Amino acid sequence: MMSLKPRNVDFQETWANLKETVAGVVALRAVERAVWNTRFSDVYALCVAHPEPLADRLYDETKNFLEEHVGGLLQRVKGSSVLESSDYNDGLLTRYVTAWHEFSQGVAYLNSLYSYLNLQHVKRQKVSDAEIIYGSAATVSCPEHDTRQLEVGELGLLTWERVLVRPLSGALSSRLVAALSAARDSAPDPAAADALRSAVHSAVHVQAFRVRAPLSLYQQLVLEPFLAAATTYHSRRAARLLAEGDVSHFMKHVLDGLEREVSLAQRFLHSSSLESVRACYERACVAAHLPALHADVERLLREASAGGGAARRDDLRRMYALLRPLGGPALRPLVDAAHQQAVRDGLALLDAEHPRDEAHAHFVQAMLSLHSKYSALYGDVFGGAQAFVGALDKACSAVVNRRRAGEACARAPELVARYCDALLRRRAADADADDKLAAAIVVFKYVDDKDVFQKHYARALARRLIHQLSASMEQEEAMINRLKAACGYEFTNKLHRMFTDVAVSADLNAKFQQYLRDNNLSTNTGFFIQVLQAGAWPLGGAMAPLAPPAQLERPARLFEAFYRASFSGRRLAWLHHLCTGELRTRYTARVYHVSASTPQCALLLLFEEADELSAREARDALQLAGEAWARHVRPLLDAGLLTGDADGTLRLNLAFSCKRTRLRLTCAAAPPGQGGGSGSGSASGGSESTHCDDDRKMYLQAALVRIMKQRKVLRHTELIQEVVSQARGSFAPSVAMIKKCIEALIDKQYLERAPGTLDTYSYLA
Amino acid sequence: MSGEDCESFDRGDADGQKPDKMFTLKKWNAVAMWSWDVECDTCAICRVQVMDACLRCQGESKKDSYGKQDCVVVWGECNHSFHFCCMSLWVKQNNRCPLCQQEWSIQRMGK
Repeated sequence: MMSLKPRNVDFQETWANLKETVAGVVALRAVERAVWNTRFSDVYALCVAHPEPLADRLYDETKNFLEEHVGGLLQRVKGSSVLESSDYNDGLLTRYVTAWHEFSQGVAYLNSLYSYLNLQHVKRQKVSDAEIIYGSAATVSCPEHDTRQLEVGELGLLTWERVLVRPLSGALSSRLVAALSAARDSAPDPAAADALRSAVHSAVHVQAFRVRAPLSLYQQLVLEPFLAAATTYHSRRAARLLAEGDVSHFMKHVLDGLEREVSLAQRFLHSSSLESVRACYERACVAAHLPALHADVERLLREASAGGGAARRDDLRRMYALLRPLGGPALRPLVDAAHQQAVRDGLALLDAEHPRDEAHAHFVQAMLSLHSKYSALYGDVFGGAQAFVGALDKACSAVVNRRRAGEACARAPELVARYCDALLRRRAADADADDKLAAAIVVFKYVDDKDVFQKHYARALARRLIHQLSASMEQEEAMINRLKAACGYEFTNKLHRMFTDVAVSADLNAKFQQYLRDNNLSTNTGFFIQVLQAGAWPLGGAMAPLAPPAQLERPARLFEAFYRASFSGRRLAWLHHLCTGELRTRYTARVYHVSASTPQCALLLLFEEADELSAREARDALQLAGEAWARHVRPLLDAGLLTGDADGTLRLNLAFSCKRTRLRLTCAAAPPGQGGGSGSGSASGGSESTHCDDDRKMYLQAALVRIMKQRKVLRHTELIQEVVSQARGSFAPSVAMIKKCIEALIDKQYLERAPGTLDTYSYLA
Repeated sequence: MSGEDCESFDRGDADGQKPDKMFTLKKWNAVAMWSWDVECDTCAICRVQVMDACLRCQGESKKDSYGKQDCVVVWGECNHSFHFCCMSLWVKQNNRCPLCQQEWSIQRMGK
């Protein structure tokens, strides 16, 4: 039974016994339990010896012993090898690994034997981690010169590093690098692989106890020489690959090589090195040959998009895999090329031969096929990466908003609106109109001039609603909701109100009929009315005054009376050019149903009294103004219902005959700002675009005032940015136009230039 | 716009060779437009057209399609007209017409 009481100890004698056991432990020889226990207490006894503790002496002796022991190991490891050689099969590595296994294990045991010394004596002097990391301990960075004591296990490792590794470092390093290079080409047998891995990891283990730079030995001994060798190797290989074949061949092999290199690093190197190994590889193989890679980007994209098959797609996939890790600048040419390819292809698609009156369908379908083709291609090849989605978006928007030379504005808004109009009309009866409309939104989102689209769409919607041409009201509403989802409430506000008016009108007609019944009144003719609210409908100014014939007068008066009774404070105006009457001819062999505008009906009804009228007479009777007169008479003459001359004498064609029994007369060439007109481009283009410009200026000024009211003081560039981002929903404003609006607001004293600055505005309350 | 419907038509009373009338009016599809019966079409309080919803109602951007119906016009005895929403806020501060300074009293309201 050992005593814990401090006592006199004979150091020489105790150390002699202890040393013998220590030698056994370090060499992994069997040590009996009883002996172990005794030595354990010997360490204790020395540490607490009376009158002087002998711990320091024990530490020094142990240190000397370890140095001697490792010195012996060094000789063993060296053997007869030539240190300058780098032949990794000369046995030096094997001997090193064996010695390391033995020593590292032994030292670990030794550490437990000395646990009392470690705990009570060494720990107390140890500097804290914080001190090591945050200064005051500059010396610690080189433990050799540190007089402070280490735990015995650490001492052993340090001694190993100093006494064995240092002298051999050149030899070890060159052999390790050579072995790793060999492992790259052909996997070594398992035993050799294990040895190699242990040797590499020993360099990590030896310094694992260090708080600061625990990997420095590993980096010095293994990683840095390895990377240097790898760089040379990879550079040479990459150059060879490039000389051997085309870019496809190069990329394929470089990617394979990368995979091999990564797995090599995973197998043999410390896990922290993976990144640097990969980066080293990419530098040598990819970054060094960027120009060669970039040179072929355009061709690959062209061939892949032209249906060049799976091979080109694989090439692009590889290209992306190689370039992505190098970041923005390396990837830029690929993104740019993707953008240009889509633009080129898109323009070609748009310019493809197509029937003139199908321009709208051609346009939308071309854009859709462009979009879906490249979404699929880039999604597949580049994994849907944001940069390429962005490039495609930019390309689509460039193609959609393309202006041909001489065109004042892009045709996209008009074409998309016409496409929707065609689908929403009753005659279209397209089974998948819904899907097509949903798809049209995709194109619509790329349109810059959304305000122009809105004008076209609103006009077409008005035409459909008034003349009841819509295929289905659900479809109309769904489309308005889609537009709302894309552009917001404000954008579709008027469309909604138009739509509501139609619903309200249906209700109103029912009430009117009820009112007639209740009061025993009759309109003497079929009557249906739509009451529209002013301001929401794009019907524009000139309401041609008209003196309606008696047959129409009666229902109109009745309805006006009803309307006045139902609502208060409202004014009702008849839009005669939009009203249609259905007439039945009774003087012809067959009965013809003629539907025509109110003025046309009125004109025809004048012929009740006479078969021949002078134009002047008729015009006075109807009170039709000059331009409107010609517009309404012309279709009657064209259809053959009337004969004669619009400015001379008009006769009713009593011998009228026609193959069809239903005639629908149109008002040709509606004045600007009104319905009609099947998109005749340039004629109305001029006033259209100035009108649009005015709207935009108002919009921009409103936005400027809103922003400035909130921010009070703002720099020019920030203000421009905010305005652009607000306006983006409906159009892409030019900076010049914004500047003009700012000037206008300064003139109107909403804003002023902040005194003493050049580029700052402030809000005037 | 030459749509031809496929519905069957009735020959009806087309057999008489010597008609007393040349045409019969079967049906009239009328279109009319209503607006508030006001002298000035802008509300002097919010500077928005009286046909549109007032600024506050627009700001709340009523999503329901009938929201517009709430924002009606009101006429004072002085015959000046404003959005009802705007005027009811105005009279809380000052019970005079903002245009002519007469005592405000409602003559009629739009509906």
